[in-house]
Amino acid sequence: MKPAASVLLLTTATGFGFGLLAWLGAYCAVGFLPTHARLFVAAGVGISLALISLGLGASVFHLERKERAWRAFSQWRSSWLSREGIAGVLSYPVAIAFALALWRDEPPLWTRLLGVVLVLVSLGTVYCTAMIYASLKPIRQWHNAHTAADYLIYAVFSGAVLYALLNTVAHGTAGTVASVAAVTSAGIALLAKRAYWRHIDAQAPLATLAAAIGMPGGAEARALDAPHFTENFVLRQMGFSIARRHAKKLRRIALAIGFALPLACSVLAGCALLPLATASLAVLCAGGGLLLERWLFFAEATHVAAVYYGRKI
Amino acid sequence: MEATTQSTAPKRTVACTTCYMCACRCGIKVHLQDGKLRYIEGNRDHPINRGVLCGKGSAGIMTAVSPARLSNPLRRTGPRGSGQFEAISWDEALRIATDRLARIRATDPNRLALYTGRDQSQALTSYFAQMFGTINYAAHGGFCSVDMAAAGLYSVGGSFWEFGEPDWEHARLFLLFGVAEDHDSNPIKLGLGKLKDRGAKIISINPVRTGYSAIADEFVAITPGTDGLLIFALIHCLLDAGKIDTEFLIRYTNAHHLVVDAPGDPLHGLFARDPAGFELCFDRTAGALRAARALGTDPALNGVFTLPDGHRARPAFALLAERYADPQYAPEAVASRCGIDAGTIRRIAAELAEVAFNQPVVLQQAWTDTDGHRHASMTGRPVAMHAMRGVSAHSNGFHTCRAIHVLQMLLGAIDTPGSWRYKSPFPRQIPGGPAPGRARVPGGPLDGSPLGFPRGPEDLLVDEAGEALRLDRAFSWEAPLAVHGLMHMAIARAYEAGPDRIDTLFLFMSNMAWNSAMNPGETTRMLSACDAAGNYRIPFVIVADAFASETVAYADLVLPDTTYLERYDCISLLDRPIGSAHGPADAIRIPVLRPDRDVRPFQDVLIDLAGRLGLPEFATGTGVPLYSSYADYMVRHERRPGIGPLAGFRGKDGQAIGVGAPNPRQLDRYIKNGSFWQHELPAEQLYFKHANRAYLAGAKAMGLLESDDQIVLQLYCEPLQRFRLAAEGHGSRRPPERLRARISRFFDPLPIWYQPLEQAMTDRAKFPLYAITQRPMAMYHSWGSHNAWLRQILPENRIYLHRDLAVQLGIRDEDWVWVRSRNGNLKCRARTMSGVNRDTVWTWNAIGKRTGAWALAHDAPEFRRGFLLNHLISEYLPDRPGQAADSNSDPITGQAAWFDLTVSIEPCEPNTPDETSPRPAANPLRVRRTAEGTL
Amino acid sequence: MTMLPERPAGAKRLGLVIDLDTCVGCHACAVNCKEWNTGGEAAILPDYDKHGPEPDGVWFNRIHSYETNSGGCSRTVNFPRSCLHCEDALCVTVCPTGASYKRVEDGIVLVDTDKCIGCQLCSWACPYGARELDENAGVMRKCTLCIDRIYDEKLPPAEREPACVATCPSRARHFGDLADPDSEVSKLVEARGGVDLLAGLGYRPTNKYLPPRRATIPTPPVQPATASGKGLSAALLGLLDKALSR
Ligand SMILES: Nc1nc2c(c(=O)[nH]1)N[C@H]1C(S)=C(S)[C@@H](COP(=O)(O)OP(=O)(O)OC[C@H]3O[C@@H](n4cnc5c(=O)[nH]c(N)nc54)[C@H](O)[C@@H]3O)O[C@H]1N2
Ligand SMILES: Nc1nc2c(c(=O)[nH]1)N[C@H]1C(S)=C(S)[C@@H](COP(=O)(O)OP(=O)(O)OC[C@H]3O[C@@H](n4cnc5c(=O)[nH]c(N)nc54)[C@H](O)[C@@H]3O)O[C@H]1N2
Ligand code: SF4
Ligand code: SF4
Ligand code: SF4
Ligand code: SF4
Ligand code: SF4
Ligand SMILES: [Mo]
Repeated sequence: MKPAASVLLLTTATGFGFGLLAWLGAYCAVGFLPTHARLFVAAGVGISLALISLGLGASVFHLERKERAWRAFSQWRSSWLSREGIAGVLSYPVAIAFALALWRDEPPLWTRLLGVVLVLVSLGTVYCTAMIYASLKPIRQWHNAHTAADYLIYAVFSGAVLYALLNTVAHGTAGTVASVAAVTSAGIALLAKRAYWRHIDAQAPLATLAAAIGMPGGAEARALDAPHFTENFVLRQMGFSIARRHAKKLRRIALAIGFALPLACSVLAGCALLPLATASLAVLCAGGGLLLERWLFFAEATHVAAVYYGRKI
Repeated sequence: MEATTQSTAPKRTVACTTCYMCACRCGIKVHLQDGKLRYIEGNRDHPINRGVLCGKGSAGIMTAVSPARLSNPLRRTGPRGSGQFEAISWDEALRIATDRLARIRATDPNRLALYTGRDQSQALTSYFAQMFGTINYAAHGGFCSVDMAAAGLYSVGGSFWEFGEPDWEHARLFLLFGVAEDHDSNPIKLGLGKLKDRGAKIISINPVRTGYSAIADEFVAITPGTDGLLIFALIHCLLDAGKIDTEFLIRYTNAHHLVVDAPGDPLHGLFARDPAGFELCFDRTAGALRAARALGTDPALNGVFTLPDGHRARPAFALLAERYADPQYAPEAVASRCGIDAGTIRRIAAELAEVAFNQPVVLQQAWTDTDGHRHASMTGRPVAMHAMRGVSAHSNGFHTCRAIHVLQMLLGAIDTPGSWRYKSPFPRQIPGGPAPGRARVPGGPLDGSPLGFPRGPEDLLVDEAGEALRLDRAFSWEAPLAVHGLMHMAIARAYEAGPDRIDTLFLFMSNMAWNSAMNPGETTRMLSACDAAGNYRIPFVIVADAFASETVAYADLVLPDTTYLERYDCISLLDRPIGSAHGPADAIRIPVLRPDRDVRPFQDVLIDLAGRLGLPEFATGTGVPLYSSYADYMVRHERRPGIGPLAGFRGKDGQAIGVGAPNPRQLDRYIKNGSFWQHELPAEQLYFKHANRAYLAGAKAMGLLESDDQIVLQLYCEPLQRFRLAAEGHGSRRPPERLRARISRFFDPLPIWYQPLEQAMTDRAKFPLYAITQRPMAMYHSWGSHNAWLRQILPENRIYLHRDLAVQLGIRDEDWVWVRSRNGNLKCRARTMSGVNRDTVWTWNAIGKRTGAWALAHDAPEFRRGFLLNHLISEYLPDRPGQAADSNSDPITGQAAWFDLTVSIEPCEPNTPDETSPRPAANPLRVRRTAEGTL
Repeated sequence: MTMLPERPAGAKRLGLVIDLDTCVGCHACAVNCKEWNTGGEAAILPDYDKHGPEPDGVWFNRIHSYETNSGGCSRTVNFPRSCLHCEDALCVTVCPTGASYKRVEDGIVLVDTDKCIGCQLCSWACPYGARELDENAGVMRKCTLCIDRIYDEKLPPAEREPACVATCPSRARHFGDLADPDSEVSKLVEARGGVDLLAGLGYRPTNKYLPPRRATIPTPPVQPATASGKGLSAALLGLLDKALSR
């Protein structure tokens, strides 16, 4: 599948944003937030919403008919894209209410409850996003149990490193809890990514060309001539492919930058070793690495329709 | 004339006319809204296409708006080939042409050479040439499929090509030799669909498995040029098994006619005749010689008999049987050369025999033959065959095609239920028409059509020394039966002969500087070559075209034609009509769009020119033009009394068919009828037309035939023997010394097989592969590339080769490769496949374009990756020491031997630029508008 | 809208049956479709770079050719590919705007181009590559099953069929109600073993493809002539001996 910049930005940026919101909500819910953290929370919510807005903005940019974007909220009964939109939009009032509640020192019951809602709406939105991809049957690399879990894990992970950085900026140190959270989620994300790659590498193609054109079982087929010589929409979108050699290298880079380095940096930050620098590096690496990981998520995904053009799927 | 009828939708009008996105002539319904083209669909009532429309036809809309359309008459301003022109007025254009042609006509009319492509007004263009008085006229048949036409018309009085069709309703076994598309595009597809519906078996004999061959039940990947051997092997098996329709042979063919067997005698190889000139046979019951056509005889098909003059004679069939029963034609003996295993050949022979003799089709339809026998039913052999350029584009194509007809005759499968059938107006008396015109009184017309059918050496157009009179050397000893001329030699011969022989080359509707040139590089060089004084060797070139083709750039004067939706046309029985086995039919084209450019229908222009020149039949004795336009001519012209371009709705009341007085309201009647006319033959006349009394009488009454005598099918082709006898020193007209052996070898009255000439003269170790082309279904020669839809399908082409061969040569899909022949080197991209003869490479025809042509952007894929195989071909055979090279043509008909090419192929050096080679320099059309020039 | 409609049992399933045994790969259906959908009622199907280096455009139907090998027998198969009007059309359910929908009454899957936002998700959801973006209008396009022909009362009944079906020169395309077991198309599918493409994905396509077949003529091959070598065979001589009568 063609990795469109807008979609990469959308999923990565909203991952950070919703991840951070989720952590804020979760810490609040379990009472881990420092008392009188109103500025801290306001800043966290502000950053999250900025990232989410960046992502959602990019996704609207991806639409051919932006002026009709409002229509996308209508089909929540069947469409994950519609649900993502609704959940995403819903997250704003929740997040703002949450920040306000903490600002105004509302009673803990309220703030904790809002924290829970914030976790739900944030991770819910990430889940919707993931399900857009996971529900697409023609793309085996997406249509599997990993996709939704992974999106959640990466959101939690990116939120965790971002939270740790926020903590460091606010309090001079990442703090044990946040560091442990960052390290653990980085570790899990790393394992999840490897598991995902192992999974898709072991998958069989969804169909052979012979089966796709309705030939009897056991038949082989080979494309002779495509309908048209020049590229068309389907090929541009669905025919994108990346050489295996190339992908392997990129995978290693993504693992190193996106997961291993943030993990290491988070350990260092947790040990208060140049905490600001290491925590920042963790976020930067996670951002870059996740963008690359996301690029691969698209580039390595094959669409079954490409088999009609004799492409490997 | 307003040629539209109101449809149900408001403001939307529908007009019926005839498609011309190719030469198939399908009926179309053109939908217009506010005068703009909206949709073109097939006319469901039309006999050719029954409502279907192919991809090209469906893209007609994009041709009507193509930027490549010419828009003004043009006069060359830069050097020839530079593409530099100025727009001039029609008055000026016609004045230039008239002055020039009048001067030629007053001196030597033969100095005008008029060549036309696949237009459908050859009845007009050849008549123009005849009235002008030039022998130098030809249409595209010579580079197309004259082998099929000549072999058919000299053998069965009809032919494959578009003049015959399988009995799609009844055939059970269908053999398709070398056809990718053919002129009968839609009828063949409709027919194949019908065969499939009925579960009939289709066998495609073709080196390449695409298109029709893809859906064949059996694909026989024959080695190019060897079909003759395959057919002989089939005949061999049938003879061996005694599976021959002897009844059919004695009734309808000359199988039992006695052939004089007296080597060295001037009568040797000719039919034995009685004093009245009737051929003889031997009646076994009477034990005596009898007239071969006499009734109540028991003619011998075998044996040796003595003639009254003492010569021995043998039935033609005996000669045939002896020849093909020879072990050299056993399947095992030909298998490796054909690339087909012997078992397959034997099985196909068995299937032919099984279907022909054990599964006859019997129609409960009484009919009477020309002998007066009444038959209660029509019994047929449901074995049908069709063949086209895979056979004809080889220099042995005439004999191969005749071999197929012989096979059909042996099976009794000519115009019977289930077999191949004639399309009206065929069959014709054999060989198909009068001899070519040759003489004229000064200022008068030629005494016959420039193209005709020689019966023997006496009909050739040669001088005292036996050398050709015609520019292209048709009807000379180099190509005696060149019944369509040799268009592919016209430019080369005009260049060779120089300005004394040819002044003006007038080209209509053929891209002769590009894809119909056997060697575009050389051809364009010759077109622009000058003598020492700087004068062009071909002094003047007029091109009539509708689009900015490659050839337009080489014209001195360009006459811009309309598109097919903007003019009247006539698809006439005198030309290439739309008749079918069900009866004669013809059609017209009507203008449904008004041209938005300063263009005129070429036919109008030609009639205008003829009037200005005062040509007989086009102008009165005092030079007053007779016709105001082509539409006028279509209605009023009479070729013979009562016979005109259109056969339908004749007579004052429009009731006469075929023969009748001109009907001033004829076009209206056509338009009301959907722009075509069709006469459905009664069931009694549908088969055995060559010997069907009712059919022949009806055809004669309609003016389709001169005589209603039985048309005797020519298993043995006697005219060939006449040429051969001349080569052996008999008669007064003999071939020049250098051609004697050749005539003697090739003019065999029974089909022979020989290795295609070019192949036999080429170093096969160097060029071991065969190279051929195919028609793509969605492109028509060069005219499709400027069509915005069609060019999305095929803007470039590949050279295809067998996967095993590719592996052996280290070539992968999409690699750039060098294809080399004795004539040059071609760089293109490769694609591999398994459905191709292992020793054959092929590509789609006419996809590559010359940079600058067809109004395409300078970096169009047609220029950069599209290529023409023609760059590797040549119109000449390899030189032989001390001799001028012969043309690369069939030695009998002059048919261009496109498919005799042999090549080698190898991968290109790495990092080669992504661009085909050769890629001649750009010559885009650049038109300077004169002040009064309009746009 | 985007929910697949509750379709009553036995509701019409209009669709195409494409005979791969007869398709010669001529592109007629593809071009005629383009023509109809450009000149017809709906918005034109765009072309890009018409006379330039990258000619491209929107097509609802595209013709591939393949080489296959089944049962040791190799052949070339031409394969027209267009929307199959699936019963479980994921392209519809993923659509966030309701622009993609499946008609209750006949099962035709359509795009309402007035609602489409061009998110392209439906094209990702289609395993057959049947949807193409109109890059000029920014909306998704697809085969309409010629809904503007098949219900057009102004057309004579015989012409109320999709343009691609009407035009197919080898009559490899058939149109009808695949829910009706007595329809011509259902009978054809039954008789010829029509198949669902990519059945495993569970889209339950309406269009069916008829696989290639192979007609044979059972007969023992002619054996090589016995011995004699030269001369005419006994069988032929016997035949020639028989009396004939003209
Ligand atoms: N779409 C379309 N239709 C056309 C045309 C067009 O350009 N486009 N052109 C029209 C014209 S002018 C003509 S002449 C006709 C020609 O129509 P066809 O006769 O179909 O001509 P080709 O496409 O040249 O096909 C020749 C076939 O013969 C095969 N072949 C080559 N050599 C041999 C051989 O030695 N033996 C056998 N058995 N097969 C062989 C080739 O593989 C190819 O399939 O088509 C007409 N119709
Ligand atoms: N390698 C190879 N070469 C071949 C063949 C092959 O099989 N292989 N086939 C050969 C055969 S059989 C043929 S018939 C030739 C065909 O070759 P050509 O006769 O050269 O055919 P086209 O390229 O179609 O050229 C026809 C010309 O007519 C013009 N034209 C189109 N419509 C109109 C119109 O309405 N009015 C006028 N006045 N002009 C119009 C076009 O612009 C074009 O310039 O090619 C031959 N060349
Ligand atoms: S075969 Fe196609 S292009 Fe040729 S006349 Fe018929 S519809 Fe037109
Ligand atoms: S073929 Fe594709 S576009 Fe058509 S209904 Fe099925 S999934 Fe949707
Ligand atoms: S592109 Fe249009 S039709 Fe397709 S899913 Fe998006 S909104 Fe729906
Ligand atoms: S049914 Fe109509 S829209 Fe669909 S492919 Fe056929 S012609 Fe095109
Ligand atoms: S029109 Fe018919 S034969 Fe031609 S490609 Fe389409 S389905 Fe096949
Ligand atoms: Mo031709």
